[in-house]
Amino acid sequence: MPRLRSLAVLIAIALVAVALATPAASQTPQVSQTPKPGGVLNIMLREDLSPGFAIHETATISTVWPGMPCFSNLVLFDPLKKTESADTVIGELAEKWSWQDNYRNLVFFLRKGVKWHDGQPFTAKDVKFTFDMLREAPDTPAKLRINPRKDWYANVEAIEAAEPHTVVFRLKKPQPSLLLMLASGYTPVYAAHVPPASYRTGCIGTGPFKLKEWRKGEYVEYVKNPDYFLKGRPYLDGLKYFVIVERGTRNAALQAGKLDVSFPGEISKTASEQLKKAVPKLVVTPFSANVSDNIIMNIKKPPFDNVKVRLAVSHAIDRRALVQAVHQGGAVVGASLAPKPWGFWGLGEKEITALPGYGKPADEKAKAKKLMAEVGFSPEKPLRVEMVTRAIAVYVDMASFVINELKQIGIEATLKQIETAQWHAMATRGDYQIGANLTGIGPDDPDANFYENYGCRSPRNYSQYCSEQVMKMVDAQSQELDPKKRLALVYAIQKKLEDDAARPILDWRLDYFTHWPHVKNLIPHQSIYNFGRMQEVWIDK
Amino acid sequence: MKTYIAQRLAIAVLTLLGMSLVIFTLLRLAPGDIVDILFSTAGYVSPSEKQAIMQELGMDRPYWVQYLEWLKQIVTGDLGKSYRYDLPAWQIIRPLLPVTIELAALSMVVAVLLGVPTGVISAVRQDSTLDYVLRVISLAGLSMPAFWLGMVIILTLVTWLQWIPPLTYVPPTEDFKLHAVQFALPALAVGYRSSALIMRITRSSLLEVLREDYIRTAWAKGQSGRIVVWRHALKNAMLPVVTVIGIEFAFLIGGLVVTETVFNLPGVARFLVQAILWRDYPIVQNLVMFIAIVVILSNLLVDMLYGVLDPRVRYGS
Repeated sequence: MPRLRSLAVLIAIALVAVALATPAASQTPQVSQTPKPGGVLNIMLREDLSPGFAIHETATISTVWPGMPCFSNLVLFDPLKKTESADTVIGELAEKWSWQDNYRNLVFFLRKGVKWHDGQPFTAKDVKFTFDMLREAPDTPAKLRINPRKDWYANVEAIEAAEPHTVVFRLKKPQPSLLLMLASGYTPVYAAHVPPASYRTGCIGTGPFKLKEWRKGEYVEYVKNPDYFLKGRPYLDGLKYFVIVERGTRNAALQAGKLDVSFPGEISKTASEQLKKAVPKLVVTPFSANVSDNIIMNIKKPPFDNVKVRLAVSHAIDRRALVQAVHQGGAVVGASLAPKPWGFWGLGEKEITALPGYGKPADEKAKAKKLMAEVGFSPEKPLRVEMVTRAIAVYVDMASFVINELKQIGIEATLKQIETAQWHAMATRGDYQIGANLTGIGPDDPDANFYENYGCRSPRNYSQYCSEQVMKMVDAQSQELDPKKRLALVYAIQKKLEDDAARPILDWRLDYFTHWPHVKNLIPHQSIYNFGRMQEVWIDK
Repeated sequence: MKTYIAQRLAIAVLTLLGMSLVIFTLLRLAPGDIVDILFSTAGYVSPSEKQAIMQELGMDRPYWVQYLEWLKQIVTGDLGKSYRYDLPAWQIIRPLLPVTIELAALSMVVAVLLGVPTGVISAVRQDSTLDYVLRVISLAGLSMPAFWLGMVIILTLVTWLQWIPPLTYVPPTEDFKLHAVQFALPALAVGYRSSALIMRITRSSLLEVLREDYIRTAWAKGQSGRIVVWRHALKNAMLPVVTVIGIEFAFLIGGLVVTETVFNLPGVARFLVQAILWRDYPIVQNLVMFIAIVVILSNLLVDMLYGVLDPRVRYGS
């Protein structure tokens, strides 16, 4: 019976699909110049892939960036558009899609004739296999070793693949954002006929490029996939990612033209200026890396269980001075979502200025001192705490600045550097008082950010902030179908999080993506994790 | 001689056994493990998932079991599996060895070719302008870290010629010329530093020998300066020089980290650092053992050379 019911639903869906399918769904991206086929793109990597091409088992750009060309998603953010939003989602393995039942069912109509790199046909079974594995469905035949984005699929009740080329995602409650999470570089479809563990050592995908060789610690080489489902793509004959651990050597290789493209999130403002000075024709594009600098305070332990102390910390830090001192202007201030124009959902300058810590520095420091005085501390009688941070220069620089700011309001923090191997374990356990942290977010989307970093049971909610009111607001925005109303809710949540000093955001880092002018159609988005597919890239030589 | 070598090899086995224990223990004392790093790339930690991975990798077993397992692997030639790459450790280590050995050997050739002649000239022309110039050059070599020199070479090439050496390893069978260039630059950077040390040792050792009675006798017999210096004096002055060369070679095998990194050469030293950062025990343990073996063998070779250079040296009874 359930099968018959599913079939009936699918037939009904199929009848209305053409009318309801999103207009952008069946389109391939529009290209502004006439592309030339051929050539190999040489790309920079700062470390080797780990764990291999297993994108679902990691949350690092070092895997997503070189792994993306092998795979396809159901849907993807248009590689030719800078801004990522529901309007810029295009079909990949899904030719069309349709929201049904007031955004409770998401139906994908899959491309036919798509083959895996080993020649096996791609079907709806592969989609069900992948997403059942990700959401850890009880009857799933496969399990990931590490599943960092399980929470993204918490609202998926069932995935049905009754037909070979139709898949239905049944949701517990409406969630328009699910489509955006499916469009992230973090959401490739795995092959059901190979074990998930095999992606740690190789790659069987349906993407525009096939893996030729991965020489450990040296390079990853791809060749064009002749069976790629988008006719005429990819333009390039191949891709070669060079692992270069030393930053000076990486930049020298780019400068010498041995590399065509920098690594996303790698080039600071200062470095881009130096490169541009050395080679004026290099193309530098500033964009948001979707990575924030923030302060985590353990809300479960004194003294940061007291909102006054947390707010004092937030008031004390001069964000704009931090941007200049630590990033030499290569970052922008914002709340818990990247601000406009770098992001889509962030608060504007006017709203930001009204938040704790974003006003005039002298006024903010005075407010911070007043709050500290109320809890019995002052610069003469300071509160002594230990500030933890990761033993990496970008973390330590930020932490040192913050320590100096806190000293001025009566908080004396001693810096404790934590090895990378220990950092996340310590943060997840809440084994700290206060810390200087960096947070990267896959898609620029409220659901991906709020549930992951502020959800009451999320392992990445390092501050252990848990507010019933906020979670209700987060659920409400997630289910809101009216974009304007949703944006208003998202704004309200951001204000509330800063007012509670849940995890004070200090700035959003900018990356200065650099490439040679002959590289065309490689357009950075507002998140570093979503534009590495390379099927539209061509070389004008 | 054979008995001596056999004794030395027996001691070497005991030394390696001790080394293995030290490596194994130190690695386990370092904070964090591969599972922490894997979770670190995922941005969270789950104790139950961590336990499952520990079990999968065999890291939940008692330390002594893991240690004995590793020793067994060494004896059987199966070096285990890399935690990071999920591949046999030997498959990963094998391509690294020739790169580092070649770079270290070439660096030593550069060091000897530069260091010994300049040391001799400096000693023979003691306190002359040339001596002072050579001593300043050698002092500069000692003061200049090889990685800094390497970076200066790369930046100079990029700035003036818009060229840098290949970014991946070029086998000699594929393109010998490019291969030679790829290794010549780092070998020069490393060899220059080592040559400074060799030059100073050669100079001081030769100065000492040149004041010996038998050298005075050679001069008195009317032998030419070339014969006196190169045949009589230098041979006797070479013992400490050979010792230093042996130590330097052994040091280079593990000490090429930064040079391999700067020149992006996929050798043992660069890979070892990455493996340590990832707590990839099978790779780290076996690479350190490889370095230990090279150190022991080069020491043994130096001891053997003593006998060749000085017939008075006898091995065993």
